[in-house]
Amino acid sequence: MIQSVGRAARILKALGSEAAHLGVTELAERLGLAKATVYGLLRTLEAHQLVEQDLESGKYRLGPALLQLGNAFLDNNELRARSLLWAETLAGRAREAVHVGVLYGPNVLLVHHVFRPDNSLQILQVGASIPWHACALGKATVAYLEPERQAELLAGALPRLTGRTLTSPELLEAALETVVDTGVALEDQEAIVGEAGIAAALFDNRGAVVGAIGLAGPVERLLPDGPATESVAAVKEAARGLSRELGAGRQAIRGAGA
Amino acid sequence: MIGTAAVPWARLLPEPRREAARIVDAACVRLWLGEVATRLEAERDFLTQLDAAIGDADHGVNMHRGFTAVMTMIAELEAATPGQLLKVAGRTFVSTVGGAAGPLYGTAFLQAGEVLEDHRTFGPRLLLDALRASLEGVQRIGAASVGDKTMVDALSPALGAYGLELRMGGSLETAASGAREAAAEGMRGTIPLQARKGRASYLGPRSVGHQDPGATSTALMFAALEQAVIADRSQRFAHGTRRPVSGS
Repeated sequence: MIQSVGRAARILKALGSEAAHLGVTELAERLGLAKATVYGLLRTLEAHQLVEQDLESGKYRLGPALLQLGNAFLDNNELRARSLLWAETLAGRAREAVHVGVLYGPNVLLVHHVFRPDNSLQILQVGASIPWHACALGKATVAYLEPERQAELLAGALPRLTGRTLTSPELLEAALETVVDTGVALEDQEAIVGEAGIAAALFDNRGAVVGAIGLAGPVERLLPDGPATESVAAVKEAARGLSRELGAGRQAIRGAGA
Repeated sequence: MIGTAAVPWARLLPEPRREAARIVDAACVRLWLGEVATRLEAERDFLTQLDAAIGDADHGVNMHRGFTAVMTMIAELEAATPGQLLKVAGRTFVSTVGGAAGPLYGTAFLQAGEVLEDHRTFGPRLLLDALRASLEGVQRIGAASVGDKTMVDALSPALGAYGLELRMGGSLETAASGAREAAAEGMRGTIPLQARKGRASYLGPRSVGHQDPGATSTALMFAALEQAVIADRSQRFAHGTRRPVSGS
């Protein structure tokens, strides 16, 4: 490990976790480093536009180059690039918000988000990270992982996010089996009170699961007395179409219960 | 009121030994709900603005819509007991408010209403039980603890301060003041926290530095409660009526 790169990364994370800007002294205290060291690192990061200094207060904040890097990360994500059209179509058909996510460690990272098409004020959630066991996207993805990886995740931390979060490995394992049987994963207020999800897995040309696409919205609309049939059909169709585009063979798609 | 002038002033003053037994009735509960509705209308955009930073930007609109519906519903219930009023408020909230606020606040009101049963009046101690039931209901649904950056960060300390004030011999009014203060402090205390529950938790460290909208609306309700019990007492005082004394 290169120490200075590690320190620079910690500076970026510290600046990324605060609404307020941070001065050299504050950063030095927070990271337990000498002010001169922090100053040198900041100057280097600033030269690369990874941080910038507020001219009035002299404090530092994240720089514009990070936005470009973040966008590049999303652009390089093939799943996101290919999902744009399918996600838009699904949102229009179901009249609900659409999420596309991929598994990073034990969390689902949202790589794409289409707003519910009703002109209401909504906040872009791309970049959000949701524990896999609490969301439909996560359960849809994990259901098709190889058994060892699945067992690893089931044995990992399963934090309770609401009163309805499934936190027992046994219940989750059963839920994953249901996903394979039915081809969709459901989420009934397991991540956020009042919110539900319906998602289906996405497969690549090797038949491996690469992520999931699904609807996210108010529980009373998504799961009125169980999942709304048309919503489930729309999600499955979008997942099937998108998987086909990613090169998944008919077998992988059929294996997903579609 | 006729004859008030003839009554010796001393009889209009509260009796100190009975401070802790002051009574809340349906009129006072209506005053409180009305005060919450008025404040939510005034703070709607502020709450939405707070929510836009770490949530879905709908908290102000949702809370305002919910309380407008609550006020319409309870206006039709003339002879309702305090418990009935709160239960109707809870059910109305659950059915009209989307997102997390509907089920959470709805449950809080319903649970409080259950505790108050059919009593036409109740004392500060039963109100403590009602608040405790509200907190338990909220925690059962939301699984949040103090420090998770949610409404619990305002509700739990408010409940603690209210109970402490009563144990130290305070009145309904001083207990409500203590609760308001503690709730506001808890609300401000959410700013440096990283969210561990709700949509804000998806943001991870980025939720730090923002005040939680749910804790803010809870603090607003305790500010309204303080104002309602003081206004209720003043009104009775002005009208020369003494509150009945409760045993609870």
